[in-house]
Amino acid sequence: MAAEHQPIIAIEKASFTYEGASKPALESIDLAVHEGDFLGIIGPSGAGKSTLVYSMNGIIPHYCKGDFFGSVSLGGNDTFETSLTDLSRIAATVFQDIDAQMVASVVEDEILFGLENFGVSKTEIEPRLAEALANVGISDLRNRAISSLSGGQKQKVAVAAVLALKPRVLLLDEPTGALDPASSRQIFELLRELNEHHGITVVVVEQKIGLLAEFTKRLAVLAGGMLRYCDETRAVLRNAAELLAIGVNVPRVTTLSLLLHEEGYGIDRFAVDVDEAKGMIEGIVA
Amino acid sequence: MAGLLDYSAGSTVLHRLNPIAKIALALAVCIAAFLSDSFVYLLVLLAFNVCIGLVGGIRKKTFSLLFGLVKICIFLFVLQVLFIRAGTPVFLFVTDEGLRIATLVVLRLIDATMPLALMLALTQMSDLSNALVKVLHLPYKYAFTVTTALKFIPVFTDEMSSIIESQTARGVDFDTKNPIRKLRLVLPLCAPLLITSVGRTEQAAMAAEVRGFYLRDRSSGSKEYPFGMIDGGALAVIVVLVVLAVLV
Repeated sequence: MAAEHQPIIAIEKASFTYEGASKPALESIDLAVHEGDFLGIIGPSGAGKSTLVYSMNGIIPHYCKGDFFGSVSLGGNDTFETSLTDLSRIAATVFQDIDAQMVASVVEDEILFGLENFGVSKTEIEPRLAEALANVGISDLRNRAISSLSGGQKQKVAVAAVLALKPRVLLLDEPTGALDPASSRQIFELLRELNEHHGITVVVVEQKIGLLAEFTKRLAVLAGGMLRYCDETRAVLRNAAELLAIGVNVPRVTTLSLLLHEEGYGIDRFAVDVDEAKGMIEGIVA
Repeated sequence: MAGLLDYSAGSTVLHRLNPIAKIALALAVCIAAFLSDSFVYLLVLLAFNVCIGLVGGIRKKTFSLLFGLVKICIFLFVLQVLFIRAGTPVFLFVTDEGLRIATLVVLRLIDATMPLALMLALTQMSDLSNALVKVLHLPYKYAFTVTTALKFIPVFTDEMSSIIESQTARGVDFDTKNPIRKLRLVLPLCAPLLITSVGRTEQAAMAAEVRGFYLRDRSSGSKEYPFGMIDGGALAVIVVLVVLAVLV
């Protein structure tokens, strides 16, 4: 069916320059995200990662002032012609600034806010609320004041608040920024579960390459506002040397694979996690 | 002062009161304080305020609020006594009329400030805004503005103290005892704080909009705020307070 092949997010020749800025934050981006994708976005600071997320959810051009060229469509709707509210029915976003995105003073009300606004029926609100809290593992924080939570707990609340909305696309801008490694993993495991079992398309900006390598299906690398790579995660990581040159880390096991490949060990499949590296080395030794 | 406005959880009769009834009760105390000229009645209102704090289980907050107000009032009292020249002098430039009016002003100020602050400490901010929208039909954006402003107080206080801490770590003398010197050190920090707060507010607006802010109307709130027996009791107290203020 043709509709199935139409990407849920389609970015064509998109460029954006913030008002007053001399250089474009995004330059001629072509990117397609299909339903069911799990796309990671990585790049050095100032690469335009947040700007790319803003252009996907309609914040650009509706909110940020500047010059916008090209086209972006979300769920078949041109973001230029569709209101931000209508776009947010399709894609839910977790922003980078966790404090600023909290609208309520208590965790429960924070989750309720979106559910009530989008007119979720009153009988459905409670199960969705409880499920979102349980999924992120913060059921015990339900009645806590948000101001009393730690950075990591707030981040989980922000994720729960958008999860409850059951969006088709979930956009997350560094959702593990304030989290310890165990909680970061927990968030990514949750994202994988949502992606694989609930069919939610996930786009996540993240600096922790280890998590991206392990969990995402595809990886986009941005540098200087341009899309340098966008392919299956493993294929992108094969370019370890180029990635390091533009300021993007690769998992240490991938660097090891690269070194072994250069030494002529005939590695055809680069390892992205420890288990794979173990298998690879066992293969060489045997 | 920021901590005084924070919600104190509990299940006392005052916590269970309808948010609108709480605000009405607080406003009634304010109105009564301005209607009455009687010292005794103003003292009764003061006692009533303290009782609100005690019944609501926020004894510590009540007394720290009261002492905070007393400090401001001492200053106000001296000013009033200095400037009111009517009446007969009782001691140097101090007149009996000056003393009377100064005491009235100070008592009124305390009586009228306490109830709203106490009620805010006993009401969940979201309950207050939801009830204002549902019961009083206040447009949601105004309710949201008020609650967001109050919510941002602790965020900005934290930000300010982290700026101060980091500057202290770099040798700036913020722990000075001299209040004027301290003020001169703090004032320049207001500009960066203002700039970050504008950025923060924009982010907040953006985040609210992508979660359907503009779809929200009076019927959106899932919680209901019906009036019950205790709210009837509160209404009776309101009537009594105002009537007594007029009569006494």
